[in-house]
Amino acid sequence: MSSVSWMKAFAGENGRNIAPSDRVRIGMVGVGSRGRALLLNLHAVENVNIVAVCDDYEPNYQQAIELTGGKAKAFYDYRKMLDLHDMDAVVVATPLHEHAHIVINFLKAGYHVFCEKSMARTMGDCKLMADAQRETGKILQIGHQRLFNPVYLAALERIQAGEIGQIVQIRAYWHRNNNWRRAVKDPALEHKLNWRLYNEYSGGLMTELAAHQLQVANWFLDKTPTRVMGSGGIVFWKDGREVYDHVALVYDYDDGIKCTYDAMIANAHYGLEEQIQGNKGTIEPEINRIFSETPPVAPGIRQLIHSIEKGIWDAIPIGGATWVPETAVPYRGELIAPRNTKDTYLQMVGFVKAVKNGIPYKNLLREGYHASIAALLGLEAIDTGKILNWPAENIMEKEV
Amino acid sequence: MKDVVISASRIKRELRILILSLLIAFGLNIYSIVKYKTELIEMLSQLHIVIILGFIIYAVVSIVFSGIRALIRKKMKHSEKL
Repeated sequence: MSSVSWMKAFAGENGRNIAPSDRVRIGMVGVGSRGRALLLNLHAVENVNIVAVCDDYEPNYQQAIELTGGKAKAFYDYRKMLDLHDMDAVVVATPLHEHAHIVINFLKAGYHVFCEKSMARTMGDCKLMADAQRETGKILQIGHQRLFNPVYLAALERIQAGEIGQIVQIRAYWHRNNNWRRAVKDPALEHKLNWRLYNEYSGGLMTELAAHQLQVANWFLDKTPTRVMGSGGIVFWKDGREVYDHVALVYDYDDGIKCTYDAMIANAHYGLEEQIQGNKGTIEPEINRIFSETPPVAPGIRQLIHSIEKGIWDAIPIGGATWVPETAVPYRGELIAPRNTKDTYLQMVGFVKAVKNGIPYKNLLREGYHASIAALLGLEAIDTGKILNWPAENIMEKEV
Repeated sequence: MKDVVISASRIKRELRILILSLLIAFGLNIYSIVKYKTELIEMLSQLHIVIILGFIIYAVVSIVFSGIRALIRKKMKHSEKL
């Protein structure tokens, strides 16, 4: 699990002596549903003080004060936090279109920043944020919690060890069945509370869901796509929203590998998964399973019982499906790693450790940056109906 | 309600049939290991299947034998009446 730079830091390989008494002082900007989840996870991290909270929506503002026991300073305008001298870092969990200016301003003011995914609403803004991080040397961590998930880390190690052979395709999908719409009593708040449904503020399924799984694909392949094509539409939730409720894309990589992706919010039967398909096996990290292309043979007695059953039932003509499984027992693969679903907590632990050290993890921002570009490029491909090449100016070089 | 008396000889007979059924199931396990060329350790690892199979064979044998005995008794009663 130590093959990635941030996990080496987790293991204490940072070469610095950090006093356990060092407390990290964090401010929160955006304390809606995701912001509150991050705040609660931060409460569970050792040596963290939430010193400031900010939200311009009154109910969120009041809840944030409550969650911090009234001890954090409370603001409606994040700009008033820029001059706080008793704060080390900021967690930004606002609507997507607000990320860029908030993050850039805090970086330039000398703070480390954790920003929820996706990075920004446009590729241009993502680049500006990355440039600001490079110029200031501060930590900018994007909220892709799978980068800290022990199952994904173990999966990566097993891929690097060759257990599934050469990756030949990645197939990812995210299917939900809900309309994403929040109840709004005052129509004036429609765009504020349902920002995810409007193109000005959100990339819809691409920036809210696909970004996570495209990050996994890029990470496991250790490359970015060369081009993307896609299609999308509003198939079911025709309620005045602007963002697609169904998308389907193909991302090409330079060696011919494809990542096929689809997302929808009108059928949840298949849930979500990233199927990493190699010539020797398949990894499905969302269900924590690895499958071999040559599964173990079923025990002899089960094969015997199965062949007797097959002999009996095949001889009786019954209408309906006649397909008989080739294996006598279902093959469930094996576990990749002991299950751990605390990845949101682990990513906050990682952020706090980085802030204590004052050193960004190598290549961690690169993962978040490329995931955001992949999502936004895919959205543009859908909008224009064109096959789009990955822009050269949006490749972040790997740190050695 | 009548008391049900199960004689010692009846118990012995049922136990013999059960043991025979389990031995047949164990034999089938060995046969399947040879036929499908699987691991010898299955003689132990699949014991749970063997035991279940043994009881199924015992149940089938018991039902068949009971059916045959019932038929024979019916024929004998019919012959006595004649």
